[in-house]
Amino acid sequence: MALLLRTHYALAKSSLKRNRTRSFLTCLGIAIGVASIILILSLMGSIKNLVSKQISDAGANLIVIRPTSTRSTVDSIVNELTTSTQYLKSNLTLKDIKTIEKVEGIAAVSPLAVSVNSLKGDTENIVPSATIVGTNPDFLKIQNLNLKKGTFLREDAETPTAVIGAKLANTLFGTAEPISKTITLLGQRFIIVGVLAEVDDPINFNNINLDDSLFVSASALNKIDNSLQIQQINVRTENTDTLEQTANTIKESLIAAKSGDTNFTVLKGEEITHPAGSLFSIISGILTLVAGISLIVGGIGVMNIMLVSVAERTHEIGIRKAIGATSGNILLQFLIESLILSLSGGFLGLIFGYVLAFLTSLITPFAPFISWQILAITFGVSLITGLIFGLYPALKAAHKSPIYSLKFWG
Amino acid sequence: MNEEKTNETIIKLEGLTKRFGYGDASSYALKNFDLEVKRGEFIMIMGPSGCGKTTLLNIIGLLDTASSGTYLLNDEPASRISAKKQARLRAKKIGFIFQNFNLIPNLPVIENVALPLVYSGYHKTRRLIKASEALDRFNMKEKEYYYPYQLSGGQQQRVAIARAIVSHPEIILADEPTGNLDSHSSLAVMEELKRIHSEGNTIIMVTHNPSLTSYATRVINMLDGAIDTDVKTVKDSDLPVPVERKTPKRIFKSRKKSNPKKKKGKK
Repeated sequence: MALLLRTHYALAKSSLKRNRTRSFLTCLGIAIGVASIILILSLMGSIKNLVSKQISDAGANLIVIRPTSTRSTVDSIVNELTTSTQYLKSNLTLKDIKTIEKVEGIAAVSPLAVSVNSLKGDTENIVPSATIVGTNPDFLKIQNLNLKKGTFLREDAETPTAVIGAKLANTLFGTAEPISKTITLLGQRFIIVGVLAEVDDPINFNNINLDDSLFVSASALNKIDNSLQIQQINVRTENTDTLEQTANTIKESLIAAKSGDTNFTVLKGEEITHPAGSLFSIISGILTLVAGISLIVGGIGVMNIMLVSVAERTHEIGIRKAIGATSGNILLQFLIESLILSLSGGFLGLIFGYVLAFLTSLITPFAPFISWQILAITFGVSLITGLIFGLYPALKAAHKSPIYSLKFWG
Repeated sequence: MNEEKTNETIIKLEGLTKRFGYGDASSYALKNFDLEVKRGEFIMIMGPSGCGKTTLLNIIGLLDTASSGTYLLNDEPASRISAKKQARLRAKKIGFIFQNFNLIPNLPVIENVALPLVYSGYHKTRRLIKASEALDRFNMKEKEYYYPYQLSGGQQQRVAIARAIVSHPEIILADEPTGNLDSHSSLAVMEELKRIHSEGNTIIMVTHNPSLTSYATRVINMLDGAIDTDVKTVKDSDLPVPVERKTPKRIFKSRKKSNPKKKKGKK
């Protein structure tokens, strides 16, 4: 058997070599499909890596509480898509912060009340849609942020204070250090007491671009905006060993405080890295689907070429059968040929995919991401494509009648 | 297999019928055809076109099946041999020679000759050695790495004959092997066949050329799917005895014994 396989392999190689251009073009079809899958997988992998790196940077003692108990199941994603969650009311409140603060072993708690609003600076400069983050002084402790200038939020100030992201500062004031300038949000004036150092980290577990945001006190924000929504509560515990226990306690005390409402999720450690928005998983799912379609097109190309090859070699099949080839021999011969096509296409696609991923990494923060899973998927996908789309032509070749085939001159 | 006894019947056809088409549109290529072939016979089958000669050859060669009747190959009913085993028999026991040579155009001569050995499980080196030996017999050794299109018709047919005998088959089926050749090449091809026959091989050959019948030990004239005349020119007892071929058998046996795993893997 092994001997026969080797013979078939040599045979298939020589027959593919005879039709170099044709074989290459067919490979290319598979390669494009595989390359796009690789690119998407690499991007997804590196995004996940980025977030989990932040988590580990932030420390292993981080707990995140998010509204709604939805997890990334298909049902919840579909539900989220059809009911437009951006209008979904969060059930986390400032009261919950107080509840959490009372839990033992908590080092810092900070809410994240994210909204988009128009901002007016001193210079009548207006930013129509800036990200406003309502939080508290603890945010700095949890986030490990550096201030470029000034201090972080203060709860006790007479005029509400604000801290501005580096990029937003530039857009609004035209200067990188607009300390003690005032900013108007919903008719309320805020004094800028600090500017964040640029972090250039648009993707993080907070789902906000820190460089482009304005940070104000959540309680101050609550006074001018009655419909304050807290999208996330970040908690840092005093030590890592009791993380699990603390998370449970937080959950229990929250349920108790909210009179039995369980519509929130307490995430810790690795769980936080699950992409916050399910939009992310939807988009990557759809992209993979599109890549899969291009792979199917590639597979059809393989099938097409194999059918042509079978038709061209009908006479040869007749001769082989007449001098002793079984139908199985013929089947194997053509199947191996299509497998060589699809596997070398897959290999080509792997290279293409990573070249593309590398090029992408030049203009985005996503470094190419390689894992054995991706390699296994590439191999498996091209193997399966070759098998599925090679089987029909090979069966067709195997079932040719030798008498008919011998009379056939292609 | 106890093939050591000479001149036993190796092919027996009884009431063989081959029908093409169905119902009113059906026509018969063979009608109640009876034939018994002894080892070592050189049979020439003649007859007008469409009288079923090629169909007969295809059925004997296990390429086609009869509509009814029995075909015993070495006392085994062909209808009960599995398709896979039939293919193996074609590789090892039956050699085909065609009018249009039927060489694979993009394989060099030597690989064409070695082709039946691919399917009987020989290693590449072994295959090429045996193919080279076969080609040597027909003075084609220096053309080993030529491609079929670079050879003349007579040379191509010699390559095809080399391919037919490379696995030392018991039966050689030739369908008008000289049909595409001039008289000079025809004669050369016939001399080769004669030599193969003298080594005890059974040859069944279809031809339209009456002058070639002098090579045969038996001449059958067919008409409308049945035997018209059947003349034996050589007594059964005078048929050539198979030449003992030691080398290939020994190789085959030693392969099986030394590598019992391989046999299991094949099944």
